[in-house]
Amino acid sequence: MGGWVGKIARINLSTRNITVQDLPKEIAVSYLGGRGFGARILYDEVGPEIEPFSPDNLIILATGPLNGSKAPSSSRFSITTKSPLTGTILDSNCGGKTGIRLKDAGYDMLIISGKAARPVWLLVDETGIKINDAENIWGQDVNVTNNNLLAQVANPQTASVACIGPAGENLVLFASIMSDKSKAVGRGGVGAVMGSKNLKAIVTSGTSKGVAADPENLEFIVYEARKVIKQSPITSIGLPTYGTSALVRVMDMMGAFPSFNFSECGFEHINDISGETLKERLLVKQSACWGCPIGCKRETKTTRGAGEGPEYESLWALGPNCGIHDLETIAEANYLCNRLGLDTMSTGVTISCAMELTKRGIVDGIKFGDYQSLLTMIEDIAYRRYQGDALAEGSLRSAQKYGAPEFAMQVKGLELPAYEPRAMGVQGLAFATSNRGGCHLRGNMLGPELLGVPKIVDHSGASGTVGLLIYHQHLSAAIDSLGFCKFGGFAVGDELLARLMTAITGTEFVPQNLHAAGERIWNLERLYNLREGFTNKDDTLPKRLMEEPLKSGVAKGRVVNLAPQLEEYYRYRGWNTDGVPKKEKLKLLGLEA
Amino acid sequence: MLEEFQRIGRDLFLSGLVSSHGGNMSVRMGDRILITHRGSQLGQITAEDVVETGLYDNDSNIMLASSETPVHRTIYLQTAGLAIVHAHPKVAVALSLIEEEIVPIDNEGSYLLHKVPVISSEIASGTAMAGIVAESLQKYKITMVRGHGCFAIGQVLEEAYQWVSCLEESCLVIYYSRTLGGQTKEFRKNADQYKKW
Repeated sequence: MGGWVGKIARINLSTRNITVQDLPKEIAVSYLGGRGFGARILYDEVGPEIEPFSPDNLIILATGPLNGSKAPSSSRFSITTKSPLTGTILDSNCGGKTGIRLKDAGYDMLIISGKAARPVWLLVDETGIKINDAENIWGQDVNVTNNNLLAQVANPQTASVACIGPAGENLVLFASIMSDKSKAVGRGGVGAVMGSKNLKAIVTSGTSKGVAADPENLEFIVYEARKVIKQSPITSIGLPTYGTSALVRVMDMMGAFPSFNFSECGFEHINDISGETLKERLLVKQSACWGCPIGCKRETKTTRGAGEGPEYESLWALGPNCGIHDLETIAEANYLCNRLGLDTMSTGVTISCAMELTKRGIVDGIKFGDYQSLLTMIEDIAYRRYQGDALAEGSLRSAQKYGAPEFAMQVKGLELPAYEPRAMGVQGLAFATSNRGGCHLRGNMLGPELLGVPKIVDHSGASGTVGLLIYHQHLSAAIDSLGFCKFGGFAVGDELLARLMTAITGTEFVPQNLHAAGERIWNLERLYNLREGFTNKDDTLPKRLMEEPLKSGVAKGRVVNLAPQLEEYYRYRGWNTDGVPKKEKLKLLGLEA
Repeated sequence: MLEEFQRIGRDLFLSGLVSSHGGNMSVRMGDRILITHRGSQLGQITAEDVVETGLYDNDSNIMLASSETPVHRTIYLQTAGLAIVHAHPKVAVALSLIEEEIVPIDNEGSYLLHKVPVISSEIASGTAMAGIVAESLQKYKITMVRGHGCFAIGQVLEEAYQWVSCLEESCLVIYYSRTLGGQTKEFRKNADQYKKW
């Protein structure tokens, strides 16, 4: 099977039992890989009776068929689990080399269950899988752990470390897993689930590259894919030159840049934190994920530290959303989150919620703009100290504790990203219906509503773009399953992806196959959440976004009118008015019980 | 959405890609579709000219919808398209009468379309034609029906319209270059691969 290795490893940390099984081809073709594999297995094996921190919850580390191939921008691997932050199905992915090295070692996927009696780390290489003692590295930060483990493997050049930091060990509900030090499997608390299993790290190592089914055709398709990446000003100029923070000024100009915990729109000090300023003041060099011609990563340094980033979302969450415009502090907060293994977005939005509670006199804590306390608060969260212990539960639980959940800017418990939905047409609907909670990567309308990819569409909130959102939700699910990067997706469309799949796997794919797989995955994730007890009432937004008109910007006066969009969304999806997929729809997708 | 239909319909007519009552357009919204009224003038679309009906099932609105609705439905069911433009670009139609496939030789056509298949069907709205058009659009953004016109798919109407416009321009370049005579000079790397697209 070109594209897929054809092997799955199951590791039970309680019993230390390791088994290897074949990957069925029909599962590979129907669910593609990554997120799709994770959804299928979690649905089949982790029911409502299993709590996120139960040993019976799974960590599913899955690769995609494009990982390790010549396809550009295709190093992303995925981790799926039941989220401790949201209780929903959760997958999170990143562009570190962990997935590629896993395939090189001979596996498409690791399914990890159980709980080790003492801290352990896993070594997965071409000779097999070993469970190693990790007591000497428990408590170490991500960078130290990474260096320590690479020093212990035979061939560090072909190895990759995915590990947790202190935040994961302390079960912070939004702890991340960091691959190759700085690439975050960030969202939803995947790191906390790893910590709950006493699993400090997974080291993957290998050199065995798969062979494409049609190498000659692949050469041409890859050439064409790289050509469209080179042609697009987004992927050939904006992202390479300024990184993802190129969006800072663009979003501010479009009136869609939230600040101060979404209580304001736009930011007075926008030029202090823009992509241009970051390039001028902090950039050391541009870098890229494995095999990516875009190179949106930034290696940066401040007067007190160095590291990777900050990305647009991190910069916003730890900066303007907290009323902070000191770029060095924001960058150092980002480095610190990475070292401690914290999701920068949830960290920032949880702190901004706490800041708003302070402003409103509900608590006596950290204040908007207090950049000097930001780093201390981040450490307090990771180590669950003082107010940080409450914040380690995420914005919703911590705001509920103080009787003010309406100031938690989240959906289903997952903190929102840096897009003001009141200034966009159906971005609010995208957040409300995202299966993992408030997320921009499950069908982002940034392309069609603001950047004009493929074409600019009406973003006044008028009817008509709900169908386009559904399309993007399916395509996102497919992209996450292939191992492709969404930034590459600004240039490389479904047609090229399908042709890449055909050349790599030898199975003929057309765009519709990718969308059908995406729809299957989306509906399966929905079924999972419904089985967990979520209902259409959870497809909602923070009250502020639906009731408080924007005070400024081009969308001044607007709120999200969610109810009619949601009604239209359910209808267009073939779901009933309660948001439950109809039998006919499930039958079409091969998901009938 | 009505404005989108009006804008694209008017441009299709004014750029000569459809005649007064020719062509049709639709948009898929999940399991529903919006399609132009049977016999409507694309250059003069009003609210009554855009009809909603089911993707899988008929309802009474089918009496109002374009006679090519079954083709649109089949395309939506078999492709990733979210919008369809059906037009009658003159030079492309002429070229379809003498070619088995249209391979653009200009830079933009090569870059955006690579290759456009030509299929044969005498009946404009038949089930057989629907099947072969949809099958072709599984792999290609735009397909010519010999002597008839083209079907293009996109995420939005504007994108599908772009493929139609691009195809007609590429066909004009082919026509002009043949009319001028002489040997065309190749400028594309992997030029021979475009025919295999």
